[in-house]
Amino acid sequence: MPPLAGWTLNVTGFVGKSPALDHVMRLLVNDFFIPLVICLVMLALWLGYSDRIKRVYMQRTVMYAAVSIGISALVVKLINNFVNPWPRPFLVNDAVIRESARRAAETIFYFPHDPTFPSNGATIAFAAATGVWLGNRWAGAILYVLATLWAVARFYAGIHFFVDVAGGAAVGILTALFISKIFMPRVEPFPTWVMKLCRLLYLA
Amino acid sequence: MTLDYFILVFISSLGVYQIAAIPAKLDGLCFFKHPAIQYIFGILAIIGVFGWFFTSSDRNIHTTVEGSQQLGLFLASIIASYVFTTILASIMQAKVNSRGGIPREGRQYNMGIEMLKRTTLFGGIKSSLRKERKDKV
Repeated sequence: MPPLAGWTLNVTGFVGKSPALDHVMRLLVNDFFIPLVICLVMLALWLGYSDRIKRVYMQRTVMYAAVSIGISALVVKLINNFVNPWPRPFLVNDAVIRESARRAAETIFYFPHDPTFPSNGATIAFAAATGVWLGNRWAGAILYVLATLWAVARFYAGIHFFVDVAGGAAVGILTALFISKIFMPRVEPFPTWVMKLCRLLYLA
Repeated sequence: MTLDYFILVFISSLGVYQIAAIPAKLDGLCFFKHPAIQYIFGILAIIGVFGWFFTSSDRNIHTTVEGSQQLGLFLASIIASYVFTTILASIMQAKVNSRGGIPREGRQYNMGIEMLKRTTLFGGIKSSLRKERKDKV
């Protein structure tokens, strides 16, 4: 059992008490909703500047954030290969937590069976938010809110422990900082070539 | 589910292109002359397709559209939507103030989407080809 496992019981205990809240959580926890909204915000940032210099800067920011998403997903896969410290909340030995999480997952989501730590969703959402935040504070703040909502919804649905989503957020943030601040500037001129190719294809 | 997701991304990104084209002044992406109509169109497209996707069936089920496949579908869909937008805007010639399309300096194809401020994609490509031919002569 992970640290703070008791929090799962407190949160999943709310499921079924407020149908309106459950309905909102069913939308927020979805595999498509928040990831797509995050990507659409990034798409709007890619195009939405009139000034050419600002637009090129923002396109680089979005490219770095997109690379951060991909690399952070790979980092999660790597971690899963070496570390799988505990099962999903609805599969743990503690009967009280297991039944509460099982009921929550059944009501809100479905039963995923891939490794729970770190949360894949929290990782990529926080990687995207951090990558964007480095270039645009307002858009980054919006993405942080979306990432937090997604993480909270997955915790509420009983498919992750709190430590899973917190760990995922940490992995995502650290990966995005590494990619944007250290890795990408060091692999020049590849990012510039990609930008030129996009311009050649009228995509940037 | 795969087709549904493709449609969701295609139409929502089409809405985003219409909204983002207003502050970016990318007239070559615009379907309408009036920014207000374009803005409303973009918002309705996004809300409409999200509403359709999430109410038409239960989307909280274990599907085959996961991870890398979702990314691939997303990229394919936003590019298809971009091509569709530029072609439709070219055909409609909405709000496009073509000035012959030749930039003062540099080749047309070096300008990327900056070209869409002056003309449509078709107009830009046509003027690029014309310029190339003139340069050869």
